[in-house]
Amino acid sequence: MLHFAQIFSYGILNGALYGLVALGLSLVFGVMNYLNVAHGGLIMLASYVTFLIFSSLHIDPFLSILLVTPAFFIIGLALFKALFQSLMKFNETEKIKNSLLISFGLLLVFSNLAILLWTADERAVTTTYTGKVVQMFGVRLPYIGLGGVALAIIVIIALHLFLTRTYFGKAIRAVSLDHEAATLMGINVNKVCLISFSIGFALAGIPGVVTSLQAFNPAISFELTNKALIVLILAGFGSIKGVLLGGILLGAIEAASVYLVGTPYREVFGLLLFVVILMFRPQGLAGKRL
Amino acid sequence: MLEVENVDVHYGDVQALWNVSFRVEGEELVSLVGSNGAGKTTVLKTISGILRPTKGSVSIDGIRLDAIPAHQIVEMGAVLIPEGRRLFRDMTVLENLEMGGFIDRARKLKEQNLKWISEIFPVLRARLRQTAGTLSGGEQQMLAIARGLMSEPRLLLLDELSLGLAPLIVKNIYDTLEEINRSRKMAILVVEQNVRLALKIADRGYIIENGRITGGGIGSELLGSEQVKQAYLAIG
Repeated sequence: MLHFAQIFSYGILNGALYGLVALGLSLVFGVMNYLNVAHGGLIMLASYVTFLIFSSLHIDPFLSILLVTPAFFIIGLALFKALFQSLMKFNETEKIKNSLLISFGLLLVFSNLAILLWTADERAVTTTYTGKVVQMFGVRLPYIGLGGVALAIIVIIALHLFLTRTYFGKAIRAVSLDHEAATLMGINVNKVCLISFSIGFALAGIPGVVTSLQAFNPAISFELTNKALIVLILAGFGSIKGVLLGGILLGAIEAASVYLVGTPYREVFGLLLFVVILMFRPQGLAGKRL
Repeated sequence: MLEVENVDVHYGDVQALWNVSFRVEGEELVSLVGSNGAGKTTVLKTISGILRPTKGSVSIDGIRLDAIPAHQIVEMGAVLIPEGRRLFRDMTVLENLEMGGFIDRARKLKEQNLKWISEIFPVLRARLRQTAGTLSGGEQQMLAIARGLMSEPRLLLLDELSLGLAPLIVKNIYDTLEEINRSRKMAILVVEQNVRLALKIADRGYIIENGRITGGGIGSELLGSEQVKQAYLAIG
């Protein structure tokens, strides 16, 4: 029983990270119907940037969020202007298809670039608290995992407050509901899309910090995109509130599969869940929209 | 104040408007009437920048609207209450009103305008925290108008507000609009399939047929004319 509790709590900690991984992807999809599958690649790059900041400047990964997120926001602005702005004129389905193609290209570029620059070797930032755990009822909870959960909760609450309490955040939700009506209100839809897209990029920087503390290599890009897509299905496409819950649900299911069949099949169950939900509830488990 | 001159509009290769010209003066309530598919909605969408004329011009007080981005037209003082209301259904009534008053000039006047809105549409006052999609049809139409009013327009463009509403509710809404037109000196351009109603309240009216303006005049006179009687009121 203790063994199960241990596996399950790891699952929950992982799950919170999955929620964080899916957050930016969900926001961008909700606002403009862009399916940015390069999101996992961005998180991977953020891990390397965090690693470099740590090894050269000795800044703690959790603190380097303050450097990584603005940098990724700016990269988001540039890539939107260069590659994604031209898709704005398309209808919903064309937007999904075209953004999927472009961002899949980007995902390949990012992971190969990382191999070129830093090789395919596995790395991890090793801090003074790496490997330290809190004991609770006999269950070991690593500091890093708990930090990830705290980060996920803070970021999701912050994003929720931004979207519900500020004029610009509300405008983002208005645009996600109806581009034309938002234009009629005097909202600059192009600008709102540009900024939300870049916020999505900035949000990739945050889980990147957590993954830098665990083992990472260029190939995690694909794994992370994969997880993000499963969470999106669980949470409902474009739902911010559902993301944390969706992530934790995925973590819990993975934990159950580890306990019942063993670690090698962990990924299989996530994907199986993906397929089953698409078959029976294609709109996602929870509701829709931001 | 609003001047539409020789406007052509195309949807791709298909021409929807031919040489449309008309004007709305500062304190007027003007109706644009015509049957389904005549081009009424196209006219309003062209004024509000959603569609662009392929020929001709649209201007307010001499400033060309067809040359500026659609989202800036609200700042010029023209706001469209679109057909089908197009509310932000998952957002609250208050949030919808805030979006209506999104432009800088209107944000400063938010509290004052909210107070005014709850005076003219008292039913909305009790429902500020409710999601817009849960309102009844009539309440949704009131919210759509109120949302437009939050931007402090000088020209209100209304597209088919009577659609799907009970006659009594429609009458109430039109009474309110007439009142706003008079007390606020706000110009109003109404597009309406209900010809009798639209011409009764209007100072002036225009008739649009197959994308062309085919008639115009004082509202009450137009209502008595042979053209309107035969084509729209099935009398005579």
